[in-house]
Amino acid sequence: MEKFKSIIRDYPFIAFIIAFVILAFVPSVVFTDVYQSHLATLIFVNIVVAAGLNIVKGYCGQVTVGHVGLFAVGSYTAGTLFLYLGLGFWVTLPIAIIVTAFFGVAMGIPSFRLEGPYLALATLGGGEAIRLFIENGNFFRSTFGISDIPTPSLMGFNFDSPDRYYFISMTVMIIAVYFSFSILRSGVGRAFMSIREDPICAAAAGINVKKYKILAFILSAMFAGAAGAVYAHMPPGYIHPNNYTVIEMVTFLAMVVLGGLGHIWGGIIGAIVITIVYDLTRPLYKYQLLIFGLTIVLTILFMPKGLGGFIDRYFLEKRFKKKTGTEKT
Amino acid sequence: MLLKTKQLSKSFGGLKAMNKVDFELPKNEIRGIIGPNGSGKSTFFNLVSGIYDSDPGSYIEFDGHDITFTPPHEIASYGLSRTFQLLRLYQDMTVINNVMSGYHTRVPYKFFDAVIGRKKIWDQERAIKEEMMELLSFVGLADYAELNASELSGGQRRLLVLARAIAMKPKLLMLDEPAAGLSPVNVDNLMKIIMQLKEKYGLTLIIIEHILKVVMDTCNSVTVFDHGQKIAEGTPAQVKDDNAVIEAYLGKKMDDEEMRKALAV
Repeated sequence: MEKFKSIIRDYPFIAFIIAFVILAFVPSVVFTDVYQSHLATLIFVNIVVAAGLNIVKGYCGQVTVGHVGLFAVGSYTAGTLFLYLGLGFWVTLPIAIIVTAFFGVAMGIPSFRLEGPYLALATLGGGEAIRLFIENGNFFRSTFGISDIPTPSLMGFNFDSPDRYYFISMTVMIIAVYFSFSILRSGVGRAFMSIREDPICAAAAGINVKKYKILAFILSAMFAGAAGAVYAHMPPGYIHPNNYTVIEMVTFLAMVVLGGLGHIWGGIIGAIVITIVYDLTRPLYKYQLLIFGLTIVLTILFMPKGLGGFIDRYFLEKRFKKKTGTEKT
Repeated sequence: MLLKTKQLSKSFGGLKAMNKVDFELPKNEIRGIIGPNGSGKSTFFNLVSGIYDSDPGSYIEFDGHDITFTPPHEIASYGLSRTFQLLRLYQDMTVINNVMSGYHTRVPYKFFDAVIGRKKIWDQERAIKEEMMELLSFVGLADYAELNASELSGGQRRLLVLARAIAMKPKLLMLDEPAAGLSPVNVDNLMKIIMQLKEKYGLTLIIIEHILKVVMDTCNSVTVFDHGQKIAEGTPAQVKDDNAVIEAYLGKKMDDEEMRKALAV
């Protein structure tokens, strides 16, 4: 066991390969109908967005409420590339990531001067502007949405149903989570955290605050772009501007907050919990916003570090007790 | 000269917070800076470390680099580290992460390697962590490494801030009231640690301090500020007897005649 641990420590991607293999068997062993695969795909898409949001909001501390706009950019880049050029998933995914990265730069520039609620307002404006731009123009087929976006196929195998598309979304999710883990556990993640805690002191300690802020925005935008493209190609392959409103943004925020802002697992735990709750509460759609708004408020009040921080705390106190033999005050 | 300023000025509106200060600091010196509140000591630190931009006409040189208009992170990468009067601790990070973030300028790998997550990175990260744990046990915080910085006591916070500033292995360390709010025993302990660290890392120090005993005992030389101007400089003994210093701190020294006049009113 010790040896296994040290191998994982040196080569973390092995852990992700193991996770990949385990998740690959989940549909055939656990799932009973196609809808569950569809739900799993939604969870994976949300995990990617939430992991990205956790970088910029949880780690770098930049309050952004326009992330759903970046998600929309990813989706619509994929959608329009298919609509006008007939390109498939394998081309639209990387292009969507790159295009969204540029939008991430635009979204991040206000963070040089604004912070806290003012930055939230600026990014909210940015996100809404993107949605309105998409909605008010026939170029993006705003009225009917873009439909029949094809599912990807690889070497003759078409991932055309939810239980097959599961594998695509899972792969993207695992790669994204791997990248987010290696970024956040390295010195880059530490630099993000120092900026969150105290930008002036971070600058005095040699961290280029502007560079790292914009880097956080670019990285999280790339995550949102990848998620958007995966979402667009998800069967039945239909996107509409109504799927990218502030309501979705609140859900994304609820994921990160519930999972734990600035916790490495934060976005992932939150995305799983919130997506399942969202699905279960579909009959109560009138009250969904209320539920998620309350979730955010209550989590911040009673569990400021989210589920992830709560679990961490438990193990930490145990370890501290063992080490020093005293109760921590 | 490690640090040199010429005609260093800074005004906030009409207020001249720093007025044409010439300052020179050779290597391996421990320089104390004293002066009444609002005399420009902290402004001096903020100007040198690049947090404030100095007024046109000023000139600051550090270790051969002209840093007059250099952004703070670049100044730090030349080897200038500082602490803050209000600590500016990273409250919501663990103690070890606090110290490791001070290591930023020395992190050897590139960003792209970190994204890919190569084995090299994790080896280097572990080496950094070990080195920083050593530093933490040197200042006596090793047991608290996994706790949040906000859970430390006041004295421990001072030590942590010190360790974080040392983590980048600076050439010049500027301490802004390192002993403020500590009990006399803790002050002695802290100064002992600072002196040991100076020996260990070959630091040059500038210390702002209001506890005159600390300044007089530990510093090789003292600079006195008042109203944004340098009013005296020299060895502690010289400065102690300087009339301008006594005037700034205690008020004017009067002879018998003046005293009689003042009391007769």
